[in-house]
Amino acid sequence: MKKNVVGLIYTGERVDELKELTRYRSAAAMPMLGRYRLIDFILSVMLHSGIKNIGIIMQKNYHSLMDHLGSGREWNLHGKRSGLTILPPYMTGDKTGVYEGLLDALHSNLNFLRRSTERFIVVSDSNVLYKVDFNDIVAQHLDRQSDITLLYSKNADLRRNGSGRYLDISENGTVEKMEFDPTIPHFENTYIGAFLIRRELLIDLLDRSVAAGQHHFSRGMLSQMVIEKTHRVGSYECPGSIWVIDSVPAFFKTNMDFLNDEVRHQVFQDEKPIWTKLRDEMPARYLEGAHVNNALIADGCVIEGTVENSILFRGVHIKPGAVVKNSIIMQDAVIYRGVELENCILDKQTTIREGVRLIAPRAYPIVVAKNMTI
Amino acid sequence: MPQKKTCVAMLLAGGQGSRLGILTRHVAKPAVPFGGKYRIIDFPLSNCVNSDIDTVGVLTQYKPLELNAYIGSGAPWDLDTTDGGVFVLPPYSRGDEGEWYKGTANAIYQNLAFIAQYNPDYVLILSGDHIYKCDYSEMLSHHIKKSAALTVAVREVPWEDASRFGLMNTDDEGNILEFEEKPKNPKSNKASMGVYVFSFDKLVHYLEADEANAKSSNDFGKNVIPAMLDAGEKLTAWNFEGYWKDVGTIESLWDANMDLLKYPPPIDLHDRSWRIYARNEGEPPHYVSPKGYVQNSLVTEGCEVFGRVTGSVLSADVYVEEGAVVEDSVIMPHSVVKKGAVVRRAIVAENAVVGEDAVIGEETGDIAVVGSGTVVPKGHKLAAGKQMGK
Repeated sequence: MKKNVVGLIYTGERVDELKELTRYRSAAAMPMLGRYRLIDFILSVMLHSGIKNIGIIMQKNYHSLMDHLGSGREWNLHGKRSGLTILPPYMTGDKTGVYEGLLDALHSNLNFLRRSTERFIVVSDSNVLYKVDFNDIVAQHLDRQSDITLLYSKNADLRRNGSGRYLDISENGTVEKMEFDPTIPHFENTYIGAFLIRRELLIDLLDRSVAAGQHHFSRGMLSQMVIEKTHRVGSYECPGSIWVIDSVPAFFKTNMDFLNDEVRHQVFQDEKPIWTKLRDEMPARYLEGAHVNNALIADGCVIEGTVENSILFRGVHIKPGAVVKNSIIMQDAVIYRGVELENCILDKQTTIREGVRLIAPRAYPIVVAKNMTI
Repeated sequence: MPQKKTCVAMLLAGGQGSRLGILTRHVAKPAVPFGGKYRIIDFPLSNCVNSDIDTVGVLTQYKPLELNAYIGSGAPWDLDTTDGGVFVLPPYSRGDEGEWYKGTANAIYQNLAFIAQYNPDYVLILSGDHIYKCDYSEMLSHHIKKSAALTVAVREVPWEDASRFGLMNTDDEGNILEFEEKPKNPKSNKASMGVYVFSFDKLVHYLEADEANAKSSNDFGKNVIPAMLDAGEKLTAWNFEGYWKDVGTIESLWDANMDLLKYPPPIDLHDRSWRIYARNEGEPPHYVSPKGYVQNSLVTEGCEVFGRVTGSVLSADVYVEEGAVVEDSVIMPHSVVKKGAVVRRAIVAENAVVGEDAVIGEETGDIAVVGSGTVVPKGHKLAAGKQMGK
């Protein structure tokens, strides 16, 4: 299909539960799986669906995200006929630049929507890791004559008591009811924060909703469409595994899931690479005394100690006699002699001095903040 | 009209590299993979950009497709700028003339018009078959300070090996008095590295004279340098110190890969002030399974190791199945070593499959080679020093 869809990624999700990990970054900029940032996955999914114009709505702490994306060259989004549009918040006479929700954010970026020429737009949250082909969603959207198509998953891991958005879906795929932050979710379908809509219809809806004083996309505008049946709200089930990175345990589990061969091969396919910013590191070096099993290890690492069930980002150095188990070690960390780590998340550029032991229960990993020395 | 440049680099990448046997049957030597995630040409290209040289012509003629695709827009080396960049220069037809590159000097001669576009003061001539990190800007400063017509990069080789090289006999100040190609009784141990800085006007003058000489074999070492010495031009030697390895043979290519496993390595690719850039395939981090074992090795992104790997270099996207053994070997990108196979002292080229229980190479003896795209049948044995493939 010829460029018929423009992509828009919203990076302003609330990320309180990611704690220190998002003190200096948005969820979209979360380091993931040894060499990526979370946004790389949704960007790559859009690219592999043939989407060539992508806007990214920034809200707060977006420096690391801007630094990561640069000109968009690594994603091939730096052409004249294609490209990445960074949409930072800005203050105007009647707006402060702080978005009260997705609807507010979309309305503030109406210019991007108006200037695009594609027939459809896909809007997605950035803290979700999933694989779909948006062409299939467009085809189903047309086939079912939907006005908007919401992406959902039946994966039970996504259901959270007290939070989330859940859908009741009829047999013909129409969304009948929506439920927000229920104490216990009643519906098995979790809305994953991504939808497809005709671009001009979205512009029209935004204009009207904001005029009516709404700020929230799903619990305001969308929910009204469902209840009042003003539009046909369709649904598309995302196949395969899917992860929402909305808390420290979810982040930890998502990364660890990729030690599983099947999961890895589902997400990383040779013909559909996940592009990311490059660091031009040399391959990982294993020296005498390296013992590695069940681990994902990025280029630039130097391993002289023991690494089990762990993920090492680029440039991590594990010194002789250090033992790292069930841990995520972000880039350029140095783990000295005799250190023992178990169930830890070390943010970038941390140093763990000789003999330190950090051992946490699996459900509550220890987080060591960026640039810390322990 | 392009902007004037102080120095333009010309990289001779047209050689067949026939001493690499089956490894260069389908690709030019500079495109041969090295050190897990590099190709040989990454070294001179990265040296150029690290030396602030942003305009590079790459002269190709032998099996150029893979090399051309690899170089692409030059983006991996930051050579995709609007006022310079990397240019692939194959031989081309000019009306009733037009011919293959006859020799190193002729290749540059045929591209003088390319160089002249930038009106450079100096031209750096490089070859695409060495592994080294070199600051060409220091060599250029030396050339300028000495007001030389030509500066030749040299390195001191052990006296007992000297007779295998092209040697520069110099005076105390480094002026070149004589050039000797592989002399029986060496008077010097300063071997030419095949890296030259010419003043552009002198280059034009001597290449035109060389071209007019029907007897010349159009080679820098054999013809141009002697002609310049005869004419009394000022030629200086610039001493390079550091790791330098010709990877023109199977043995030396394997050796240079093994050098990367030494600790500390004789050439530090971890050096952030002198990065070696390479085209990236977008592979995930490598994975070592609970049954995998890796020691004394380099492992690149995209690999999956379920078997035993020691003393080896695994390039991007190599798959070592359970029960397979890889020892003292180089496995190039996208190759698979199947269950129970044993690879020892060998080079397995790109996209090859070593079948189940096959045995490649031996614990001692010469390096065995499996060519690119080759499927080694189940249980097949390839003896030390042998090559197999298409």
